[in-house]
Amino acid sequence: MSAGNKVDLSVTMCGVRFENPFLLSSSPVSNCAEMIERAYERGWSGVCYKTLNSDRVPIVHPSPRMNGYDYEGKRLVGLQNVEMISDRPLRDNLADILYLKKKYPDRRIIASIMGFSNDEWGFLAKAAEDHGADMLELNFSCPHMSVEGSGYKVGQSFHLLEKFTATVKKAVKIPVLAKMTPNITDITEPAIYAKNGGADGISAINTVRGISEIGLDDWVAKPEVFGRGAVSGLSGRCVKPVGLRFVAEMAQCKELALPISGMGGIETWIDALEYLLVGSTTVQVTTGIIHYGYRIVEDMIEGLSDYMIGKGIGKATELIGKAIPTLCETGEFDLGRQGVATYDLERCVGCGLCHIVCRDAGGQALEWDAEKRRPELIEEKCLSCMICSFVCPVPGLIGFAEKPKSWKREPTPVMDEGEVRRVRFEPFISA
Amino acid sequence: MADYERLHRMNRGFTLAQAVDEADRCLLCHDAPCSKACPANTEPGAFIRKLRLKNVTGAIRTIKENNILGGACGVLCPASRLCERECSATGIGLPIKIGEIQRALVEHSWSIGFRVFEKPAARPEKVAVVGSGPAGLACAAELAKAGVGVTVFEERAEPGGVIRYGVPGYRFDRDFLEHELEDLRRLGVEFVCNKRVEGARGAKELLAGGYRSVFLAPGLWKAVSLPEGKGIAEVHDSVSFLSKPREGKVPDLARQIDGKDVAVIGGGSVAIDCAESARKLGARDVYLVYRRSFVEMPAEEEERVAALRDGVHFVMLNRPVGYSTDGNGRLSGLKLRRCRLGTEDASGRRSPEDIAGSDWILDVQVAVEAIGNGPDEADWSGDVRIDKRGLIVADSATGRASTKAIFAGGDIVGGPGLVVEAVRDGKNAARAILEALAGGAR
Repeated sequence: MSAGNKVDLSVTMCGVRFENPFLLSSSPVSNCAEMIERAYERGWSGVCYKTLNSDRVPIVHPSPRMNGYDYEGKRLVGLQNVEMISDRPLRDNLADILYLKKKYPDRRIIASIMGFSNDEWGFLAKAAEDHGADMLELNFSCPHMSVEGSGYKVGQSFHLLEKFTATVKKAVKIPVLAKMTPNITDITEPAIYAKNGGADGISAINTVRGISEIGLDDWVAKPEVFGRGAVSGLSGRCVKPVGLRFVAEMAQCKELALPISGMGGIETWIDALEYLLVGSTTVQVTTGIIHYGYRIVEDMIEGLSDYMIGKGIGKATELIGKAIPTLCETGEFDLGRQGVATYDLERCVGCGLCHIVCRDAGGQALEWDAEKRRPELIEEKCLSCMICSFVCPVPGLIGFAEKPKSWKREPTPVMDEGEVRRVRFEPFISA
Repeated sequence: MADYERLHRMNRGFTLAQAVDEADRCLLCHDAPCSKACPANTEPGAFIRKLRLKNVTGAIRTIKENNILGGACGVLCPASRLCERECSATGIGLPIKIGEIQRALVEHSWSIGFRVFEKPAARPEKVAVVGSGPAGLACAAELAKAGVGVTVFEERAEPGGVIRYGVPGYRFDRDFLEHELEDLRRLGVEFVCNKRVEGARGAKELLAGGYRSVFLAPGLWKAVSLPEGKGIAEVHDSVSFLSKPREGKVPDLARQIDGKDVAVIGGGSVAIDCAESARKLGARDVYLVYRRSFVEMPAEEEERVAALRDGVHFVMLNRPVGYSTDGNGRLSGLKLRRCRLGTEDASGRRSPEDIAGSDWILDVQVAVEAIGNGPDEADWSGDVRIDKRGLIVADSATGRASTKAIFAGGDIVGGPGLVVEAVRDGKNAARAILEALAGGAR
């Protein structure tokens, strides 16, 4: 019996039940029924169907439309794309939604839509609902839709966003999610406008506007579309910290208090779990699938289930928002408690990376015994920045331990005490 | 007929992408112990860091500036007992494959057309180098980089010495060597081939002819042979056996080997090369005969294992005591005596002791003796001191071999050694020669 059957991964968002929290996000991976059917067979509980358009404005994707961002030996740490919303005729997309709902009635379809005018939002919403969509996701955030009154520009124009949401809410009965752009300072602001417009939930984040790479021969940003590049949407593992931040900030916002579908850089069950912990009810994935295929959901289901069994947690819903109570402003930390790095030198291989970083970026707290090829920690100088532990190749060799309250860290010395006597300034007193 | 191309072609090394992946595992140590372990100061710690930080041309420059034969060393060095043995990554897993990374970087330099060296501003002084093996080439490069006019004299038809005539092409091929030599030619080094500089007299003639210094690195080209094999046509020595394929004489050699049973006598790298070459020349069965056991063989462990895998039969603990011939005087067998290991000798290895009454004959039609090389008959008496083995006595730090301007290095000084050790000797001698030249100008 698989681990997945021993725990309850199901979640309910805006009154709609999902077998598990794992959804395809609105993107190339949810382009048509043939693809989504295969994703369902692998275990995805639902899909944010690739953003529908009304056929009024012809959609042509730039070519080529993506660029993989690698770091050292790691492929696809990020993905840059300039893809538009669905270029398929509305009729074909609706036919595919009908097919999926007939064959997989228990899987959920969230139809992503994008209008270019107020009435077009209403038209698309109605069409999706009429053909079986369980929910809508309003795409207020595509970072490279270049048609006026669309894409992330709407996400940055709060009144438009509220108006379009209200229009959709009037047109349909099914729940409505508003998808937020991260290309903004405070995400709770537009989210509250969406709530005022009637949104039942929030999706975030869309891709981060960025430049992942520039051609060194032609000096064109990638993907290079026949001699031109563009600031466009960056996704994948490198944006996960940004996504977690925005989701957490919305989860913390008492005025907002809406369910969240979180996304941004999810590839493994651990990534998904972190999104649940900062307040997501469902999570969505694209770049992880572009990297490895639909099969990754099997490992998400199994990995999360085994984690829950290990923790004695029966329902995935118990995990939602669990990181929020301890999440505070940095000013709220207890600065009276201090610690230092600890070293298990029995396991040291003598590479000296800790010594290099401590000297060049830390507190110069590590001496180097060249004979033995081992570091020696001067605790009083240790800043507890822990950068040594980030470069140490031996897992767990460097730890952290709290010092007693009486312990004092040595201040950083000045180079020449003689110069101290020559320093002249009046102490600053705030007016 | 066997596929003789296999004799001349090296296996493929890492691609650059594989090298980058391997470099990714490097810890980038503070005090890079790998760098300290390289006799020629090739600085793996530096070139791997450069590769990691995408400074690929810089990595190539580090290798080639420190070691003009950086590519050859990447291929031929027994790295597992030099730089790789010191690798800190061993503490958490496997050592970094430094030799493979080094080779890949040098090969990459050819594919991108990146040349480290340009011809420097010329100085008036001229220096002669005798022998174009690794020591001679390293010395020549170092001097040429300083602008000194260098002429390398080579007795054979083409430059390279042991890495052309002493190592089979499947271990280090002609193309690779030509690429390495191209860097010397770009530095302005002049090669005079088919020119034997004979002993101390030859060196003196060069000095009299205007060369300010002479670096002697002729190598060891006289094969040690068993007296019992004299006059038997099917008994080869390792020097001629290995050099023939490099001199275009494969058909001639293959006629003698193809389909035959071959005994190779010896336990060193050269013996392994002879055995593997015999296999590639079409020998039916190849027996590697060694008087001690597998672990005492001086050949590198990787070489020994590769030979086993290649089908060479290891006849251990047997000592040759003579040859048998048929009625026509043709070789018909190798007379062997079984041995057991006795007490340790000066080298720390247990000596073989005969087992009485155990003589037997191994039926073979060809034998190759690979039991050591020594200096040839050149007369060194006069300015250069010679030790009991016939090797030139030279200062280990400077290569200085006489009070005059004669320096020496490589196998002729240290006995059979590694390519990388010969490079070290050549570099050291060049530095001393440059100092001597500077002193003379004052």
